Amino acid sequence: MPLLKKRKPSSEGGGLVLFMDVGDAMRAEKVLKVAGYSVKLVAPPPELRRGCDLAVAINLVEQPGIERALREKETPYVQIAPLKPGTSALLEIVKKTDFGDWTMVKAGNMKLTFEKSSGVIVNTSGGGCPDIPYLHAELVGKRLDQALRTRDTGFTLCALMLDRALEESLNFWQGDI
Amino acid sequence: MLLIAGTVPVNNMPLTTGEVEADGEFLIINGRRIPCAQGTGAMVSAALATTKYLGLEPPQVLLSGDTGKGKGSRDIYEYLIKNVGELSPAVLALHYCLPDMALTGRLCEAVAKCEKRPVMIADAGSMYAAKAAGMAPEFDIFTPDASEIAFLADPDATHPAYIARHLFDTDAADIPQLILSAYKLKGAARLLLVKGVTDYVVRDGDITETIIEPNVPVLEAIGGTGDTITGMVAAFACAELEPHEAAIIAARANRMAGNYAEPTPATRVSDIIRQLPTVYRDHLCQWSGVCYIEGGRP
Repeated sequence: MPLLKKRKPSSEGGGLVLFMDVGDAMRAEKVLKVAGYSVKLVAPPPELRRGCDLAVAINLVEQPGIERALREKETPYVQIAPLKPGTSALLEIVKKTDFGDWTMVKAGNMKLTFEKSSGVIVNTSGGGCPDIPYLHAELVGKRLDQALRTRDTGFTLCALMLDRALEESLNFWQGDI
Repeated sequence: MLLIAGTVPVNNMPLTTGEVEADGEFLIINGRRIPCAQGTGAMVSAALATTKYLGLEPPQVLLSGDTGKGKGSRDIYEYLIKNVGELSPAVLALHYCLPDMALTGRLCEAVAKCEKRPVMIADAGSMYAAKAAGMAPEFDIFTPDASEIAFLADPDATHPAYIARHLFDTDAADIPQLILSAYKLKGAARLLLVKGVTDYVVRDGDITETIIEPNVPVLEAIGGTGDTITGMVAAFACAELEPHEAAIIAARANRMAGNYAEPTPATRVSDIIRQLPTVYRDHLCQWSGVCYIEGGRP
């Protein structure tokens, strides 16, 4: 039961894609709009300027999906950066919790738990982006080395953190077997 | 009326609104089956179990399919911006959505114009957006976990993936400091229920209650056990409990339901939710001072 008419979404989202030249920026804007992202061309602040005076403003939460869309269309870019000065780098560290027969690995706001003996993912928790419940259903029951990487199947920063947890879980499990 | 808005992991499900009912492991809305699993499904299921026990009308839901591209999320926000005044919910609980700061700002403007302002609750992506947009103080209740309180305490982060390392590394014992920082930086709602080894209930920056029993550590691993808390808070707030009391009872009930389920890390959240009627029957009267016979008669 559709309830409303389509309306152009907002692009106020705290992130910038930076480019070496203006042509790449304009091409990226077109690629991302075709892919359904709400983006616009803007002038980057001086501290974020890398090559050219044009950047694409994005919703930073959508970083993984945007990176993938640009890669797939072979559109070069320098980096994706948070717009807010002082923002820390993406979290790299993970934490591990031992639950006896199971291990839980936490990356940022995401947690993945697997059975030590089989390497089967038994649960994921945390997060708040809309791809996370979908990825939960996709991952649970899969063996760590057979699960699709959520950096390739998800679209958001939550999915990227879940991928870090998946990668580290795989390292832990393969180190143990 | 309790209105719960959020996305569900169902491809191509259009924006859908209506009353929700339970059917085993699923929720039914307008004939559609939604899995009772991590995310909005778990939240709605816990709210429904609570309203059913209290004899209240079931939650109204506003759901949309979204597996990460954001369209369903934006549809939800646009619909609410346009209709929240007419819907006039007593409690509006926002859950899994692609965080969108501009839409959150517009929704807060629309809510401010409501004749009767709803109790505003946010968790998950909706909470991320509210904080990132600088709108956290416009909300009545947030229900963050340990990593999310670090996010609320980081003045620069717009998502928990970008929180400062020293905040992520914070020991559980330092959660009160993060809570103070979150309020100081205006990253917190009026009331916080911080979920973790210790649950903290915080009102306007003051920790008024801590809940530590029963301690069921594996609940952290089970997807959806934070969502259930938010669903219960929303339902109890709709039952006209003060947000503070709603948060305390929800935190206790979630722990007790976990304890009753005797979970392992492989347990499903639906197994926890199934315990709620028994938990309420055994404890709600003592916890709330308001005693119900199951089915709603006081």
